[in-house]
Amino acid sequence: MSAPSVVTPAPAVEPIPAPASVIDRLIAVVGERNVIREPADLRTYECDALTSFRAAPSVVVLPASTEEVAAAVRIAVEAGMPVVPRGAGTGLSGGALPVKGCMLLGLSRMKRILEVDLDDGWIRVQPGVINLDVSKEISAAGYYYAPDPSSQSVCTIGGNVAENSGGAHCLKYGFTVNHVRGLRMVTAAGEVVDIGGPVLDGPGYDLLGVVVGSEGTLGIVTEVVLRILRKPEATRTFFATFPSTDEAGNCVSEIIGTGIVPAAIEMMDRLAIQAAVAATGVDWPDVGAALLMDVDGCTAEAEHTSEVAVGIARRTGAIEVRVPRSDDERMLMWKGRKSAFAAMGRLSPNYIVQDGVIPRKDIARVLSEISRLSQERGFRVANVFHAGDGNLHPLVLYDARIPGQEHAAEEMAGEILRICIRYGGSITGEHGVGADKAPYMGEMFSDADLDTMARVRCAFDPGTTFNPSKVFPTPRLCGDRPGPYRPHATEVAGLADRG
Amino acid sequence: MSTAAGHVDPLAAARQERPSTLAEATEALRRADRDGERVLFLGGGTELSLGAPPTGVEVVLCTERLERIVEHAPLDQIVTVEAGVRLASLQDVLARSGQMLALDPPWASRATLGGLVATNAFGPLRTRYGSIRDLIIGVSIVRADGTEARGGGKVVKNVAGFDLPKLMVGSLGTLGFISTVTFRLHPRPQTERTVLFPDLDADAVRRVVLGLREAQLEPGAVAALVREGGDDLGVRFDGRFELGVRFDGFEAGVRQQGMKLLELATRRGWRAESLGAETARAFWARHDDARESSAGFRAKLAAQPMELERVANAAIGSLFTALEVPRCVCYPTLGLAFVAGEVRVAGQVAAAVTAAREAIPDGSVVLHAAPPEVRAAVDVWGASPAALPLMAAVKQRLDPGRRLAPGRFVGGL
Repeated sequence: MSAPSVVTPAPAVEPIPAPASVIDRLIAVVGERNVIREPADLRTYECDALTSFRAAPSVVVLPASTEEVAAAVRIAVEAGMPVVPRGAGTGLSGGALPVKGCMLLGLSRMKRILEVDLDDGWIRVQPGVINLDVSKEISAAGYYYAPDPSSQSVCTIGGNVAENSGGAHCLKYGFTVNHVRGLRMVTAAGEVVDIGGPVLDGPGYDLLGVVVGSEGTLGIVTEVVLRILRKPEATRTFFATFPSTDEAGNCVSEIIGTGIVPAAIEMMDRLAIQAAVAATGVDWPDVGAALLMDVDGCTAEAEHTSEVAVGIARRTGAIEVRVPRSDDERMLMWKGRKSAFAAMGRLSPNYIVQDGVIPRKDIARVLSEISRLSQERGFRVANVFHAGDGNLHPLVLYDARIPGQEHAAEEMAGEILRICIRYGGSITGEHGVGADKAPYMGEMFSDADLDTMARVRCAFDPGTTFNPSKVFPTPRLCGDRPGPYRPHATEVAGLADRG
Repeated sequence: MSTAAGHVDPLAAARQERPSTLAEATEALRRADRDGERVLFLGGGTELSLGAPPTGVEVVLCTERLERIVEHAPLDQIVTVEAGVRLASLQDVLARSGQMLALDPPWASRATLGGLVATNAFGPLRTRYGSIRDLIIGVSIVRADGTEARGGGKVVKNVAGFDLPKLMVGSLGTLGFISTVTFRLHPRPQTERTVLFPDLDADAVRRVVLGLREAQLEPGAVAALVREGGDDLGVRFDGRFELGVRFDGFEAGVRQQGMKLLELATRRGWRAESLGAETARAFWARHDDARESSAGFRAKLAAQPMELERVANAAIGSLFTALEVPRCVCYPTLGLAFVAGEVRVAGQVAAAVTAAREAIPDGSVVLHAAPPEVRAAVDVWGASPAALPLMAAVKQRLDPGRRLAPGRFVGGL
């Protein structure tokens, strides 16, 4: 849950300075300029896009190579410092939030594209490469990289790997984990290890599947082999308006029920439509709900499926169906949708972006529960979501200038997560658990589930060096033998407090 | 239980447990934990010979009675099944809602979903829909110590917590007992059509794969079979393949893509034909036969798709020379192939395996079935992966007593 425009500044926290010996050794590895240690400079890194959580790191290191990352990790481990990795800092769950006393590894200098193999369908990149730059690199040859988070023009591949980022088009094409073939990673022992690679089905456990989405808790990824795809021959888009989200939800269910797998199908409610209109000038009418849908594939298939889908939209009560007449018109429609989060600033001084998932068939019921909650608690909620896979992004609007509102809005956003859990869904579809949702993990998973995940974590990082106090509701130490977990030292010392 | 290789069954002395509920399965594992017994999980037994023979197994936990479909939510396109549900019977149920699990490995009527996950099995549909890791969204396991745990969930989009479902894929029952699995489903295609290239060499197969992509075609399945170019003395490998490309989906798209591929073939001078229903069935039946042959030797080869010529000449070629009644199926868009046959001289087959591994040093050759003489000469998994120490650490944390299929997995895990 993020509060991107918090008016009340979080209290400034003085960084705990890193020992001089650590600084000297780091300078020897990455050079003077790439070791940031002045308190004012360190504050630049005290949060990611979730600005309501802040903590300054002790030192920020900006390595340029795998070897430099490995050396920095070894220095941190020897000094007993936690290591927190960071890409572009666009994450919405506080995944890159520093832990007090930590070494923050900023990977933004590692932004080289290392190797492209179009024929075998992959590209090898450093973690600091911007998501959209992958597609730009191969676009002229007719290829692209499928996962497209809304922040794709600024977020990095390393961050995408950490969060297993999705995007509007993952309904058909999958998430980051479905597009990562291999990784090079620095382990907690400061060693470099390759996991997977361009060739499929290497013998052994699917560690790739575990590392992708582990939010920087298992290792520091320094190279990524991504699967790339040939662009589809045709894409057809339509925009349809409905009296309410009920009709729009039925339309989505019917389209999917006919066997169509849309490339993307997005829903917005009245408030979200108003915000998009205010921010981008799209000429969308003031209606209860709208759908924006892409189908793609070979031309005949895309035309057929889009005709069928438009027919369904009309039958299920669409007020109006618009088909873009040009690429520009299509881009404008998508711009309206993709700017919907940021556009909320036009409707409210502050807002929280929530991310939860529910079974698709329950969309109407969950929306009415959210609307009831909204009335009870007195907060307006705008809904923008990936309707095809039930990934909701309710935006809770509030005014931080009114005492108590921020806290009450956060509580309400938390209640929405509980609704998702109650319907058998998830507390996060794409933004990650991070620091923000760690307290809710215990409501979605049992102690035994979390203990099993923690064991995997301990297998990779027995000293819990990497990104401690993220993902898990209670920091844990890794025992040598199975048994009850003790609280992490940083927690005992009060350092891992999530204020 | 007899192994495909027909050699002495190392499990004959083990006690068999046949729980009919998940609670009973958990109880059986707790008992085994208490008594320090080593356990092997058994589904349909279609891949029992995969991996090294586990050592000292005292309990075989059979999943055949765990055959409930726990939940099928057609509107959400998901299904949760108990481990022992057979793939073919699940597909029958799903078909009634116009849906399918996009997974078509061999032996569908015997193979169980738990076993398929544990062995990472696949068939031609992987071309388009990916492998089990792309379809699995949730899992319940029972750990070696009898603890029940769950990862993932029943919604397709979910990034809460570590992805335990993927960790279970291909883990061969060495990390925990897979008790239930949740998959995402796909609509059954309205129609399908196969275009056959009856006679191509490996380089031409490779060029067809590139051509498909250049023409922006999106086939549901692509498979190449070694042409039976032999004589009365048996099958000889002359480096030639028949290649089937199947399109599936809505009629309009399937028709257009089939025509575009035939046009492409004409332009490039490849012989190709669009198959009628009967001949298409016959081609895919030949594919299934080659995959399902209960041969004494079966190997899976993995390389980059563009290395096909080298794989064909050096790897497939040498195995074909060493094996009796050899068979081969290639998935050229994926860079994966299976070679099967009977072993006459173990030393020759072992040498061919070594030659195949040398031919694709960045890839892998894993033996899914092989007689003890071949296993004695070459490691069934090949060279250890770079990440073996991490894998060993995961095994240690989840099964510290090494009681689950001990020794079966990569690196003796």
